[in-house]
Amino acid sequence: MNTLVIVLSLLAGAYLVAVLEAWLATGRFRLAAPAWAAVALLGRESIVPRTPDRIFFETAPVLLLVVALLVSAVLPLSPGLIIADMTTGALFVNAVLAYVPVALLMAGWGPNGGYALVGGWRFLGQTIAYSMLIVMPITAVAMRAESLLTTAVVTSQGAVWNIVYQPLGFVLFFTAAMAVSFLPPFDLPTAGGELAGGVEAEYTGVRLGVFRLGRMVLVVSLAAVTTVFYLGGWMGPVLPPWAWSAIKILAVSSTMLLTGHYLPRIREAHLLAWCWKLGIPLALLNIFIVGVMVLIWP
Amino acid sequence: MSALQQYGLLLALICGVIGLVLILFALARAIGRTQQEPGKNVPATAGMPSRDPVWVRYHARYYGYALLFLAFDMEMAFMYPWAVVYRQTGLVALLDMGVFLAILFLGLLYGWSQGAFRRQ
Repeated sequence: MNTLVIVLSLLAGAYLVAVLEAWLATGRFRLAAPAWAAVALLGRESIVPRTPDRIFFETAPVLLLVVALLVSAVLPLSPGLIIADMTTGALFVNAVLAYVPVALLMAGWGPNGGYALVGGWRFLGQTIAYSMLIVMPITAVAMRAESLLTTAVVTSQGAVWNIVYQPLGFVLFFTAAMAVSFLPPFDLPTAGGELAGGVEAEYTGVRLGVFRLGRMVLVVSLAAVTTVFYLGGWMGPVLPPWAWSAIKILAVSSTMLLTGHYLPRIREAHLLAWCWKLGIPLALLNIFIVGVMVLIWP
Repeated sequence: MSALQQYGLLLALICGVIGLVLILFALARAIGRTQQEPGKNVPATAGMPSRDPVWVRYHARYYGYALLFLAFDMEMAFMYPWAVVYRQTGLVALLDMGVFLAILFLGLLYGWSQGAFRRQ
C-alpha cells in the first residue's frame, strides 16, 4: 500500500516538475504538455545505432529510473508512510546515487557515438566534483540525528530544522543535488546546444522517454532527500504531514529549476576546481561546526 | 519489517520498474515499428559517419582529482559509523576525527600545491 502511494506520488511529482520545466523552456504554462510529449515519444521510432554495445545501450535508461525510485524508497513522506525504513537509510541514499554516473556512462558508451561518449566521460568528472559534497553534508546530518534512519533524521529536527542548524551543509548539499540530477547550470552530460544532446543524443522514441522519465523522477527524489535531511520532512503546522512533504518537495524542485534557469552552464574544469578548492574545505568546516554544536546544543 | 523483507521489497520495486519499462516498449511497438532505412542508424557526428573509432582511450584530464577522490571516498566509509555514535562518545570523538581529518586535509593541501587541482 505504502509502496503504491509513494510510487504514484513520485510519478505525479515528476509530471509536475516536467510541466514546470516546459514552462521555463517555452514560456507557456501547459498542464498537458508532458502527456503529449510522452505520447509523441511513444509513437516515434526508437532507432538503435549501427554498432552499439547493446547491453549498455538498453540498460542505461532503465538503470536511471531504478536509481531514482530506490532513492525515494527509503524516504518518509509522513510518519509511517515509507517503503523501507532501513537502519542504513542515509548511507543507502549515497550508495544508490553512486549508480547515477554508472547509468550515464553506460548511456554515453553504449551507442558508440562521439557526442554521447564525450557527455558520458564528462559526467564522470562531474561525479568526482560533486560526490564529496553529497557525502559530507549527510554525515553532519547523521551526527545530529545519531542515526542513519531517515525517520530519525526528520524527528531530530523537531526543535530547529537543519537548514537553520547547518545552513552551510544545506547550501553545499543543494548545489550537489542539482549536479547529481544534471540540471542546469550543471547539465554537462546533456549540454544542449553544445554536445547535440550528449548522452541523450542517440536515444529516440520510447527509450528517450524512459530516460527523461528517469531524470524527472531523479529530480523529485533529490528534492525529497533535501526536504527530509534539511527542511524537517513532514513537519509543519496546521496542514497534514503528507501535504507539508508535498509542498516542500515541490518548492525545492522548483527552486532547483529556477536557479538553473538564470545561470550559465559551468565548465567541467571550473566545476572540479570550485568543488575541490572551496566546496570540500567548507564541507569539512561544516562537519566541525556541527560537531561542536551537537555537543553544546543538540 | 526485518532487513531481509526490506531488501525483498526493494528488489520487487526494481522488478516493477523493469516491468513498467517493458510495458512501455510493448506499447511503443504496438503503435508502430522502426523502419530500417540506409544511413538512419549512424550516430550523430555532424552529418557524416565518424572518421575515427569512437571507443578509444580518453584522456581523463581530471585524473589528479580522481586520485585524491579515492582517498576521500575511503575516508567517508569511516565517517558514517563515527557520526552515529558521535554524541555518545563526545569530545573524544571530535578530537579523534579532527586529527584524522586534519591529516587528510593536509594531503589535500599538498596535492593542491603539487598542481593536482588542475586540468592536466
